[in-house]
Amino acid sequence: MKLLETTVSRRNVLAGLGASALGIITLTACGGFGTASSSGGKDFVMTVWGGDPDKAAYQARLDLAKAKYPDYNITLQLIPNKDYAQKVQTMISGGTGPDIMQVAEDANAYSSKNQLLALDDLIGKSALDLSATFGPVAENWKYKDKTYAIPDRAGAMIMYYNTAEFEKKGIPAPTAEWTWDDLLSAAKELTGDGVYGYGGTEWWPIWMSFAYQNGGQIIDPGSGRPTVNTPEVIEALQFCQDLVFKHKVAPSKVDYANMGAGVGGDAAFASGKVMMNSTGFWNIGSLAKQKTISWDVAPVWRGQEKAIAAFGSGLAVSRSSKNPDDAFKIIEFMTSAEGQKPIMDLGQDVPARQDLQSSQEFLKPAWLDATVDMQVFPDSAPSIFKPPFIPEWNEMQKAMTDALSDFWLGKSDAKASAADLQKRLESIVKA
Amino acid sequence: MSVLQKPTSAPGPAPAREAPNPRKARPSAMRRKEARFFWLFISPWIIGFVVFLLGPMLASIYLSFTDWDSFTDPNWVGVANYVRLFTEDEIFHKSLWNTFYFAFFSVPLGMAIALFLAALLNKQMKGRKLFRTLVYLPHLVPIVAVALIFQMVLAPDSGPLNRFLAVFGIDGPAWLFESDWVKPAIILLSLWQAGGATVLLLAGMKGIPQEFYEAAEIDGASGIRQFWSITFPQLTPIIFFNLIMGIIGAFQVFAQVYILTQGGPDNASQMVVPLLFNEAFRNYRMGYASAISWVLFLIVMALTVLAFATSRKWVFYETEVKN
Repeated sequence: MKLLETTVSRRNVLAGLGASALGIITLTACGGFGTASSSGGKDFVMTVWGGDPDKAAYQARLDLAKAKYPDYNITLQLIPNKDYAQKVQTMISGGTGPDIMQVAEDANAYSSKNQLLALDDLIGKSALDLSATFGPVAENWKYKDKTYAIPDRAGAMIMYYNTAEFEKKGIPAPTAEWTWDDLLSAAKELTGDGVYGYGGTEWWPIWMSFAYQNGGQIIDPGSGRPTVNTPEVIEALQFCQDLVFKHKVAPSKVDYANMGAGVGGDAAFASGKVMMNSTGFWNIGSLAKQKTISWDVAPVWRGQEKAIAAFGSGLAVSRSSKNPDDAFKIIEFMTSAEGQKPIMDLGQDVPARQDLQSSQEFLKPAWLDATVDMQVFPDSAPSIFKPPFIPEWNEMQKAMTDALSDFWLGKSDAKASAADLQKRLESIVKA
Repeated sequence: MSVLQKPTSAPGPAPAREAPNPRKARPSAMRRKEARFFWLFISPWIIGFVVFLLGPMLASIYLSFTDWDSFTDPNWVGVANYVRLFTEDEIFHKSLWNTFYFAFFSVPLGMAIALFLAALLNKQMKGRKLFRTLVYLPHLVPIVAVALIFQMVLAPDSGPLNRFLAVFGIDGPAWLFESDWVKPAIILLSLWQAGGATVLLLAGMKGIPQEFYEAAEIDGASGIRQFWSITFPQLTPIIFFNLIMGIIGAFQVFAQVYILTQGGPDNASQMVVPLLFNEAFRNYRMGYASAISWVLFLIVMALTVLAFATSRKWVFYETEVKN
C-alpha cells in the first residue's frame, strides 16, 4: 500500500512544514517584542570592540552616564575586534541593531548604506564645537559634508625609540622636525649586528603618512577618485621600499617571518631587534611592563608637509535606534571631559578631547611607572591628516595588500606598483 | 519520496516480484505505529533542516539574483551577479583555479597518506596505541593553533622545514610569500591533518575477516599482494566515503587560508569560501556572495555525482556480492 504511505508521509511533511513556518513567525515576533522597553526607563544597546581593558573603560564611562541619566538603561555589548563588523552587520540586518555604535575606518560603509544617523542637526542644537574640542580628527567622521560620529578615542601615530642605543651612538632624540633624510641617516647608524634601525613602513598608516607628507593623496577629496599613481605618492612609496631593500635599515616581510610567528614592528622593538618603530598608543602599556630595553616616545618625522596618521574611533547613532535624540545625549556625555576621563585614567587609550590630552592626568598618568613623554600626543594632534575613510574601505585595503604584495617583497618598484594599484582602486571606487 | 520511505520499507526484504502481499495491502497497526514513531523521531531533523538549511538556501537563491548590502532592501538585478562572476571577476577566477588546484592535490594525497598510516598502524608492534594517538592528535588541535605552528614551520630561513631542506643543499622558498609556493604550503598543512581519515580506515581494517588473510597466506600470497587484493578492496567503501568528504572539505577550505595568508600574496592562495566570506561580510555584497556560494554548491554537487557514478566500478560492497 505504497499510495497510502506516501499520502500519509506527505501530509506529515506538510504538517511539519507548517509547524516550522509557525516557528519562524513566532521567532520573528519574539524578536520584535524583545526590543521594546521593559521597565519605565529607556533601553539602549551600545556596541564596542576590544578586550577586557576596553570593557572596563567603557563600563566605567557608562556608569557615569547612568548616574547622570538615571532612567536610561544602557547595555554594553563588547565584541572581539575581529568579529565586530560581522556581528554588528548581523544585528542590524536582523532588526536588533545597536543604538550607539563604535565606528572606525569602515564607518562610511555604514553611513553610505544609510545605517548611521547624520548628527549635524543634533550637534547644531547642542553646545558642541567639534573642531575646537577635538582638533583635526573631527574631520575623520565626516562623509559628504555630514557628520556621522563624534570623536571618542584618537591618538596620533608616534615614534618609539631605543634610548640606550641612541645615547650609545650619540644620536639626538627624534623630533617633529626630522626630515626623511634625518630618519634614514639615524636608521643607518642604528643598523648592524642583526638589528635594524627602523621597523618598516608596510602598514598603511605609516606609508600613507609618508605619502601625505609628500603632498600626495590616496583619494582626491574633491572628486573622490583614487590618486595613488602620482609622482608624490610614487616617490613616498619608493622611499619606503628603499628603506628595506636599498638601505637595508628596516626588516622585510621575510625577515619578520624569520623572527617568529606573528612578530611585527611592535614585538621586534620590544625585543631590541628594531631601534625605532612607529605605531600607536597601545604599545606604551606593554613596553612599560618589560625590562629588556629602555625606551621613550617622540613625534613622527615630517616631509615637505607635516602629516601624521591617527588611530581612533568615534561614537555613532545607529539608524535603528528608537530614541536617537536620547542616544545622542548619551554620546554627548560620553565624549564630554567627564565622560572621556576614564579612557586616560585607566590607560585604555588617548581620549579624543584636546583639553584632556593636555591635562596633567594624561601627561603624568597614574597607571604608568615609566617616564614617558606623553606630550607627543597633544603636540602631534594638529598634524593629523584626514584619512581616506571611503565606503569601500575594506575593499581598498584588500586591493592595497594585493597590489603591493610584490612591492613589499622587493620584486616590483613603486612606479609599476602604484600604476597597478591605481587601476585596481579605479575599479573599486565609484565616485 | 524514496528517501522518506526507506526506513519503513527497509525491515524485512519484500521482493516486489512476489504475488500481492496481504500485509502490504493494509499496513498493520504495528506498522502504522512504527510510521508514527518514525515521523516523531525524524521531525527534529526535518524541522531543523527546513528552518535552518532549506529556508536560508532558498532565500540565498533569490538573493543571488539581487544586489543586497544586508542593510537596505535587495535590488533585483537578474543574472548580473553570475555574469560578473564568470566574465569579469578575475579574483573569482583565480580563487576557483586555486581551489581546484588545492583539491586536486590535497584530496588524493591526503587519502594516500591516510591509507599508508592506517596500514602501518594496523601492524602488531610496540607502542601502537601511542602512535595511533599521535597520528590522530593533529586532527584535534584547533586550526588556529595549527596555522600558527605552520607559520613558524614554514618561516623562510629560520623555519624547521627549510632548515631540513638546507641539509640537502636545497634553498627552500619563502613558502607563504611566494605565489608559486603558497598553495603547496596550504596543501602541506591539510596533509598534516590526514589522521581523521586514518582512524576510519583503521576501524575498517579491523572489520575485515581474518579468514581471508589466512586463506591467502596458505595460497602463498605476499604481504603486498594481500594488501592490494584483500585489504584495499574491502576498504573501498571507506575510501569512497573519505573521497566524498575530502572533496567537500577541500572545496570549502577556509580557516587555513583565512588565518595563514588572508589569500595572499596577491590572491595566489585565495580560495572560494574565504572570497565568499570577504564579499559578504567585508564588502557587504550579500547578493554577489550568494551567487558565489551557489556556483560552489553546483561544482561540489557535480563532483560528488561524478564520484558516485564511478563508484560502481571500484567500490566493493560485500552485501552486493551476496545477492
